[in-house]
Amino acid sequence: MKRISALILTLLLTLPLSANAADLMIAQAANFMPAMKEIIPAFEKNSGLKMQATYTSTGKLYAQIVNGAPFDLFLAADERRPKKLFKDGLAETPFVYAVGKVVFWSLDKDTIGKSWQEAVKSGKLHKIAIANTETAPYGSAAMTALKQEKLWKQVKPELVFAQTIAQAFQFTSTGAADAGFCAYSSMFTPTGKQGGFHLVEQAPPVIQAACVLKSSEHKEAARKFVHFLSSPEVRTIKKKYGYD
Amino acid sequence: MDFYPLYISAKLAVATTLFIPIVAAPIAYILAFLDFRGKSFIDAIVSLPMVLPPTVLGFGLLIAMGPQGVLGGFWRDLTGERMVFSFSGILLASLVYNLPFAVQPMRAAFEKLDIRLLENAAVLGLSSTATFFRVVLPNSLPGLAASAMLVFAHSLGEFGVILMVGGSIPGSTKVASIAIYEAVEAMRYDDAMYMSLAIIPVSFLALLAINRLNRVSRSRV
Repeated sequence: MKRISALILTLLLTLPLSANAADLMIAQAANFMPAMKEIIPAFEKNSGLKMQATYTSTGKLYAQIVNGAPFDLFLAADERRPKKLFKDGLAETPFVYAVGKVVFWSLDKDTIGKSWQEAVKSGKLHKIAIANTETAPYGSAAMTALKQEKLWKQVKPELVFAQTIAQAFQFTSTGAADAGFCAYSSMFTPTGKQGGFHLVEQAPPVIQAACVLKSSEHKEAARKFVHFLSSPEVRTIKKKYGYD
Repeated sequence: MDFYPLYISAKLAVATTLFIPIVAAPIAYILAFLDFRGKSFIDAIVSLPMVLPPTVLGFGLLIAMGPQGVLGGFWRDLTGERMVFSFSGILLASLVYNLPFAVQPMRAAFEKLDIRLLENAAVLGLSSTATFFRVVLPNSLPGLAASAMLVFAHSLGEFGVILMVGGSIPGSTKVASIAIYEAVEAMRYDDAMYMSLAIIPVSFLALLAINRLNRVSRSRV
């Protein structure tokens, strides 16, 4: 009995080790997940390296990195945080890996009518989802557009704030919100295709920057991936999900 | 710093604690005193919110409370308002989430009652309602108070479920835990710390009170 328990214990102890044996750990902003799901296998095939990605909001990843999370590469949803990591000496020079766009989307094609401005002004939409305007880049871009069109004050009582752009999409796709400011990349998912959308031209493009972390023990692998990000193969995948 | 989220959390905790006995007391009573087929089934359903990940519960509630959902549709017909993203909405979510935390201590308190007390009440011709209010309730007060404190402390820190159905609307559904989460993401670490410091002592005092009450009820037996 003792031997069996010792064996089980040894197995349990070694299991997580083998599950964690990635050559590259990436901290990835959640909005880029659909594209990343195609980029990772392509890179693994191309390089023979194993890669692991954590998908969550840029702000949370930043807080984790500052507090010593063992990531090699940080692919943020904004430019601000990679720049700050660089300035604080925690990362190498940032570079832009994707440019995203804001769309106004609803499951009910009729409710969004001719333009997003008209839809917002119509008063027919009671709840409009938007990502947190302070922490989520897509949220602040949408706010800029609303302010520029002088609609911000009028629409504010109708807004519900999601933590991430993915949650704004969730609020809208469950019908809990009538419409929402979402990422263009979501329009390429099966759920996104069910509804109708307008590109929000007034929203500044969401420039997503990345950086290799100074604490990384796999800088060689990280640089390989950075190089791979600008390959024609990745460019095709990015286009497919609506990123420039 | 914005103190409003703390106020919303306190309001949610007080409202949950006030409303939950209406649902929890009958359930605890049935589970403690009655024996019937399917009892373990009901027991499991009531306990489910305790083991489900808040995100699972929250997602289910988001769909049920949405305008097309069962609860949301009913609420809209009744009040003309939307249930999700409103204070009533997060209150309902909080009631569902807290149900097992209210029922379990109540049930334990009821089960600890001396059966002879109830028999005497029956012999003396007290109706079951009168027995409940004049015998069961006064004799299980410490347990009920412990249940209330647990629910209060628990609602004060509510996060996952509210995150799903709340929509973080300032002054209405943006509770303290969400404000803290957002402050951390926005790199406003000071704000996050001050708000956390406000929550910790209150929760600690609530736990102290629960322990106290549990000791009181144990020494009575």
